[in-house]
Amino acid sequence: MRVIVKIVIIIMNLDSVSAAGFSWQVNEASGRSGEVTVYPNERRRPRPRRGPLAGVRVADFCWMGVGSVATRLLADFGAEVIKIEDRTRIDTPRKLPLYKDQSARNFGEEVVGADPDKGGLFNNYCRNKLGVTINMRSAEGRRLAERLIAASSVVTENFAPGVMERWGLTYERLRELRPDVIYARMSGYGHSGPHASYRSYGPVVQAVSGLSFISGLPGREPSGWGLSYMDNQAAFYNSAAILMGIRHRLLTGEGTEIDVSAVETGISLLGPVLLEVTVNGRVTRGQSYPAGNRLEHPPAAPHGVYPASGEDRWVAITVFSDEEWSRFADAIGRPAWTADERFASQQSRWDNQDALDEAIAAWTSERDRHEVTKLLQDAGVRAGAVQNAEDLNETDPQLAHRGVFFQMDHPVIGEARFEGVPVRFDGMSADNWRSGPMLGEDNEYVFKELLGIGDDELAELAASGAI
Amino acid sequence: MTGAAGSRSPYGDLTVVELAGDPAGEALGKLLATMGADVIKVEFPEGAPSRRIGPASAGARDGDPNASLNFWFYNVGKRSVVLDYKTSEGIGQLRGLLHRADIAITGWRPAEWAELGITPADLRDGAPRLIVVNLSPFGLDGPWADMVSSDLVGLALGGPLNSCGYDDHSVPPIRPGGDQGYQLTASFGHLGVLLALLERQLTGQGQLIDVAMHDCLSVSAELANPYWFYPRVLVHRQTCRHAQPTPTQPALFATADDRYIYFVLITTEQKPWQSLVDWMESRGLAADLTDPSYDDPAYRLANFAHIQQLVEVFFLLQRAGDIYHEGQRRGLPVGVLNAPEDLPHDEHLMAREFFVPVADDAPGGPHLYPGAPIRFSALAAPPVTRAPRLGEHTADVLGEQA
Repeated sequence: MRVIVKIVIIIMNLDSVSAAGFSWQVNEASGRSGEVTVYPNERRRPRPRRGPLAGVRVADFCWMGVGSVATRLLADFGAEVIKIEDRTRIDTPRKLPLYKDQSARNFGEEVVGADPDKGGLFNNYCRNKLGVTINMRSAEGRRLAERLIAASSVVTENFAPGVMERWGLTYERLRELRPDVIYARMSGYGHSGPHASYRSYGPVVQAVSGLSFISGLPGREPSGWGLSYMDNQAAFYNSAAILMGIRHRLLTGEGTEIDVSAVETGISLLGPVLLEVTVNGRVTRGQSYPAGNRLEHPPAAPHGVYPASGEDRWVAITVFSDEEWSRFADAIGRPAWTADERFASQQSRWDNQDALDEAIAAWTSERDRHEVTKLLQDAGVRAGAVQNAEDLNETDPQLAHRGVFFQMDHPVIGEARFEGVPVRFDGMSADNWRSGPMLGEDNEYVFKELLGIGDDELAELAASGAI
Repeated sequence: MTGAAGSRSPYGDLTVVELAGDPAGEALGKLLATMGADVIKVEFPEGAPSRRIGPASAGARDGDPNASLNFWFYNVGKRSVVLDYKTSEGIGQLRGLLHRADIAITGWRPAEWAELGITPADLRDGAPRLIVVNLSPFGLDGPWADMVSSDLVGLALGGPLNSCGYDDHSVPPIRPGGDQGYQLTASFGHLGVLLALLERQLTGQGQLIDVAMHDCLSVSAELANPYWFYPRVLVHRQTCRHAQPTPTQPALFATADDRYIYFVLITTEQKPWQSLVDWMESRGLAADLTDPSYDDPAYRLANFAHIQQLVEVFFLLQRAGDIYHEGQRRGLPVGVLNAPEDLPHDEHLMAREFFVPVADDAPGGPHLYPGAPIRFSALAAPPVTRAPRLGEHTADVLGEQA
């Protein structure tokens, strides 16, 4: 057993050494012409990375939120993720109007001719990645992409099925370029089946997978989701799939193609109601499902979101046992209604939730949501204010203590805040080395220093519009 | 994907000891089991709390610990061992399990660790390669570390709930279904485990991974934080569409068969606009939208309310499934709001054989369960097997140790 472990470690080392060695040799080759990339700010220059993925180079064709979030985790933990962009089709998060110095516009209200380097959403999604531009519609561009793929060991994409094939980038071709390549493909519906070419984005995935339908008040239209939850979850499943592929390669030397369907990921997240339907034959369409903020199982009551003092302020309160109810009643000073026989047991409270919710709402509506949280939590009752982004970023003491958010400087945007990876290890941490790349910021570094392309050829690529 | 899937499973070499009893820990164990890990669920003699959460499978007797569909959903593919690790004999047996395990999943607040009389470091004592992943409401340190939570409270304090609900703000924010606070925490736990496994290949050392549901949710409301980071504005919830700084038009449309479809009417881009008008015209329902004045995006914007009304009528006269497929055929990103019972009959999912039959303990089986949402050419997830009965594998697992 011990011997096997050692061999695996040696293989791993060889893999990372060969990856690093490959680029080092190319560095030397390009060094012959005496060229070193000039970064206006030397702190933007890529440096050796730290973390379990150091030495893994990713040719990253991903775009949009779901694609960018999937490869962000790799970049955070040491992989050299080279984001490949097209100057004529600017990645949407670069264009969305989230700017520091302008009044807010809604998501979707793009600014015509906006500076692609100013977009805050892109910065949040693409930190720690390098950025190059390649025009994949030109033959020279496609040849350049193949050189980059040959020097990488992971290729990622989330285009509609067929786009990569149109560029000749099948798994078979990628294996010719890099025999142990990991080719990670994520899409709304997966790469086979009659709806593979259907168009989707977060809300469509949520609708089709059932996640929207199972969310809302009974007898009303679904309230669904106020965010692209599946852009996150599908991205995380894709990140996990890539890490599984890398692990498989470390153990066996073999690469893999990966197919992640966002819709299937969404279905796998529906929760126990899915088995109620397939095992018990429950029909959820009707007037009594879903249950809004109430729980069908277990019969927790109260289990709701109650109005607090102030405009559109709310506090969630959930009580799962008679013992918790007793603590709740004590905490709020045992007003007479808490002794109502309708509220005497878990089951009777659950059976009389309309009356229960009315009484609780009358109590909460005169109180501050954070004070209610503290009062009830001090008594061991599961309760919490509905917090918004200002609360999370400016006043939440737990998030401040845990250091979930962090800051990095950006040449165009300036100092910016980021959402960190909310996973803490005792033996490693994320390697946050640089904010998001400006469009084509690392072209010279990647094409000259990593791929060994000479000045003349690079000038030709630029002149022909290939980069 | 081309080529037949390989026969090795992604986690076929891994042993996991699952001590956590809440849905976050159970969902992480499920993710690992689904991909082939041997997940040993350690339960106290009375069984995991999730065994007592309904609904029960049809026809089960009251209180049957082996009939909870809640338990079944989160525990497919695992083995169950009854082991009272509050006794010295039990802790010895647990230690034996941990020594042969790669991963231990725990789910305790600091006070709960103290109550058990152990620390995460104790679990790794004599097992330096063990990866311990603790999924708890607020993490292992900080001023809120011992606060208590639930899926709803987690989503409230963590922020996503603020973005979910109805246009009518006299209605409170509404929790999205399916224990997503817990399941999102499980996803981050899974990523942590994978990173730790890769790190262990390099160093031979395990990790303690501390995952807080609160941390996970605070970075998972998509646009809410960036809107605060950059223009410093808050987003406001809207019915089944993105929370935004200012209100936008509805995206949910009722259909002739009393269902809903999701569609965002975009008039600024010519191609989707023309697709929509062609489609409406093909049904004789384009009304005045074919008028040349609508070729101008500015005119369309000025008449947006009128267009939206016509589109509402257009959808109300058709069945949801027809709208979904015809819209998609025309290149428009339309989504149908499927109910769970619609999914097993979806032709696309059937073609991909996503749902798989599982022989469970309910009458009339086997029943359909969701299969693995990740597919590899070189690897294969093992067949899905039913959740274990309480203590079903106690003798097997403890025997393996001897």
